[in-house]
Amino acid sequence: MGYVIRLEKLSKTYGSRRGLVDLDLTVGEGEVFGYLGPNGAGKSTTIRLLLDLIRPTGGKAWLFDRNPSEHAVDLHRRIGYLAGDFVVNPRQRVSECLTFLAALRGGVPRQRIEDLAGRLDLDLSARIKTLSKGNRQKVGLVQAFMHRPDLLILDEPTSGLDPLVQQTFLDLVREARAAGQTVFMSSHIMTEVEAVADRVGIIREGRLVALEAVARLRDHAIHRFDITFAGPIDQSAFAALPGISDLTIDGPTAQFALAASPNDLIRVLARHEVASIRATEPDLEELFLAHYQPADGVQENSNA
Amino acid sequence: MPNVLTKTLWDSRRGLAGFALGTALVGAMYASFYPQIADGAMEQAVEGFSPALREALNMEDIASAAGYLGSSVFGILVPLIAVIYGIATGTRAIAGDEEAGYLDLLLSHPVSRTRLVLHRLGALAIGSFTLAAVVLLAMLAVRTGARLDTITIAQFAAQCVALGLLATLFGTIAITVGAATGSRATALASSTVLGVLCYAADTVAPQIGADGARYLSPFHYYIGNQPLRNGFQWIDLGILLATIIVLGALAVVSFNRRDLAS
Ligand SMILES: Nc1ncnc2c1ncn2[C@@H]1O[C@H](COP(=O)(O)OP(=O)(O)OP(=O)(O)O)[C@@H](O)[C@H]1O
Ligand SMILES: [Mg+2]
Repeated sequence: MGYVIRLEKLSKTYGSRRGLVDLDLTVGEGEVFGYLGPNGAGKSTTIRLLLDLIRPTGGKAWLFDRNPSEHAVDLHRRIGYLAGDFVVNPRQRVSECLTFLAALRGGVPRQRIEDLAGRLDLDLSARIKTLSKGNRQKVGLVQAFMHRPDLLILDEPTSGLDPLVQQTFLDLVREARAAGQTVFMSSHIMTEVEAVADRVGIIREGRLVALEAVARLRDHAIHRFDITFAGPIDQSAFAALPGISDLTIDGPTAQFALAASPNDLIRVLARHEVASIRATEPDLEELFLAHYQPADGVQENSNA
Repeated sequence: MPNVLTKTLWDSRRGLAGFALGTALVGAMYASFYPQIADGAMEQAVEGFSPALREALNMEDIASAAGYLGSSVFGILVPLIAVIYGIATGTRAIAGDEEAGYLDLLLSHPVSRTRLVLHRLGALAIGSFTLAAVVLLAMLAVRTGARLDTITIAQFAAQCVALGLLATLFGTIAITVGAATGSRATALASSTVLGVLCYAADTVAPQIGADGARYLSPFHYYIGNQPLRNGFQWIDLGILLATIIVLGALAVVSFNRRDLAS
């Protein structure tokens, strides 16, 4: 399987400002890659380097085994890009904007644009200046997805979208993966990336500090439970559960963390009178960084 | 199928229509004052001017149609508005759109930077020549009524072609500075300052003995050899065109080399 994105010691400094430091990364064909990091980490810098909007000060990048700068036009045919701050001339109508962008790519079936707009609940006849921030973001999503590109590069694609539309977006990503498209998406939020990504990388201060398959993360996932009982509690049964930690029993309430599947827990609970149960989502990001073992080609965040 | 050039023109249609009609209206209005001038009013008014000043303002024979139009309508008003149009359009073409964030999207499509610059340059040229054509039509409309028929249609056309090139040239300066720097303010300021300096070099410099300076000024190649009297000045037009081509090439090269502002 070929690499769609391959980065070798890719670096970018803006004058004396740090942008990106010696980034090594590969993304395979058909993969959905989540690119996480706090503000100013270098996510947009990486993405703009891939699109030849800016040029590296060190290292190399390949898209489909070609130089992003020398083959920019050919590569851009195969890429759909959503900028972190998607803006277009606001004095035009949505359909006018999308038709023009489609024409730059040799045209996209009208039906495809209407389908996407329909799913995202975007009014094609509206003037862009009259749209809310989230609705403008939808225009950006449509133009990125409409030509079914081999590679989708999405910089914070869900910013400004309401939860319902975020779900639609995740569906679009899943469909893209099912169709064999590769997706590289940046985000601040682990949960949204984790929902669709095969792998995630975390970048901090211009360096990749973690890189892991989401499936492996899930295996380590820790759920926190907070259970209130209506009857007596068999403390020893809980203490004997595999993978349990931090067990505290306070009156009718038991709190603990569980690092294994909840099957055994459910068997124990079945023998109790349960009044209420609360399980918190595992904080994958925390876990990710805590348990992370550096893999080949990944920089440790040593001199950050 | 729309492309960058047609879309640029379409998006700027209102501004272009405003500029073209405005310029044509102002031009036609002042042109239609000619009969009063010819009757001697202006001759008397400029009698007190020194010969140098008269020459500077192309007023040696203000009473002739070509002399009047060459000093007023095509000497100041129309080129001023046309150059403002060119500079405004050229500033927006690269640096303005880049600062607004529009270029990220365009250049992430299968559009090379070279193509973007050339299409924007093309849109500027088409806009400038549209403006010049509307001015020409307005002149032809008032030509007989304003007793301007000593100037042939070809002579009017020659002056308007020079006008189109002049506006394109100053717009291209703004494009080139914008392509090199990405700064809207720099593109706007430098092309405006250059415009003022060039105008001064053509009109004021000869008066203070710096006669050679005018040959550096596009305004000289626009009107110095009086197209309204002498028709098409092919060498002058060629010099304007060549300058545009050289500046355009500089814009392409510099735009290809640098980072896009984020
Ligand atoms: N044009 C620029 N000039 C100077 N410094 C820049 C420029 N663009 C980015 N930087 C710097 O590079 C670093 C990385 O910025 P980048 O935009 O890539 O971050 P990001 O991860 O996308 O952040 P966010 O989540 O806020 O979008 C930041 O410290 C930023 O200040
Ligand atoms: Mg960003």
